[in-house]
Amino acid sequence: MIQIQFFSLIRMLLKQDATEITWAEGDTVQSVLEKTQAEIATPFLHKLLDEKGKPYTGTIILVNRKNILHLQDLQTPVADEDVLAFFPPGAGG
Amino acid sequence: MVTDRYARQVLHWGTEKQKIIEESSLLIAGVGGLGATVSQLLVRAGVGRLCLVDDGHLDWPDLNRQTLYGENDVGKAKLPLAKERLNQINSATEIVELQGRIDETFQIPTAIDGVADCLDNYQSRFALYNSLATGTYFVHGGLDGDHGQVLTLLSGESQALDTVFAGAVQPQGSIPVTPDNAVIIAGLMVNELFSVLWKTPKLLNRCLVISLADFHIDFLDV
Repeated sequence: MIQIQFFSLIRMLLKQDATEITWAEGDTVQSVLEKTQAEIATPFLHKLLDEKGKPYTGTIILVNRKNILHLQDLQTPVADEDVLAFFPPGAGG
Repeated sequence: MVTDRYARQVLHWGTEKQKIIEESSLLIAGVGGLGATVSQLLVRAGVGRLCLVDDGHLDWPDLNRQTLYGENDVGKAKLPLAKERLNQINSATEIVELQGRIDETFQIPTAIDGVADCLDNYQSRFALYNSLATGTYFVHGGLDGDHGQVLTLLSGESQALDTVFAGAVQPQGSIPVTPDNAVIIAGLMVNELFSVLWKTPKLLNRCLVISLADFHIDFLDV
């Protein structure tokens, strides 16, 4: 299974802080996002991706603590037991 | 110095930890929403030296949360005001003013035991972190509306701030900030700064995520 964690406004939107998705050979962040959307009643991909399917700036996506922008972005491979986290940090001070 | 001014906190954490606080030097980046309260609490606790960095002037929308200032201060530079008010609270703390905006040219003072990121934009935050000497603790705070986060990194060992928060850019326009959330996140930062000074950080590579909307607390490992 793949562990999915939602933080802050994403958690509030989905009314849940975590879920699990069944892993399959060849999974990427992109495919895991699509599978997650299919299993969760509340639409949320529009909060993460723009009309062209690129991640919005503002929400960081981590795979096993690593920001996907330092990996292969949405094409980052995801292995069984991996942990994905979605977090829109507050920018104010 | 009045000998019993720290009596109530020493009852809680003891004389050894108080001594460490009084011998410590911290850099506070920004004396606005977070930094005004962070610096005030540190001075009340008796920190030995605070280096304050800021380049702003007080504006009316600042007054809802920037706890060192009042109506008569609007239009004035924050840094000298902060020094004056902090000196009034505790004259035992040395206050060092570093006027200016933090960018890639920023040079951090020597002999700093920890840094509080009380800034309001990612560009300056990333520049501040990248200016740190190896082995410096960095306590980040950020907020938006009724949620916020606190994270501690150790330069040279942790992932860099601009690595963890890659892609986090400044939203357009003013960010919603409430008085309660600013003070709560600032208080949590100070709690963590004490732990950093005592070499027992609780949030090292672990982001505390707070949502006041439903009093939810999460931890995001980074």
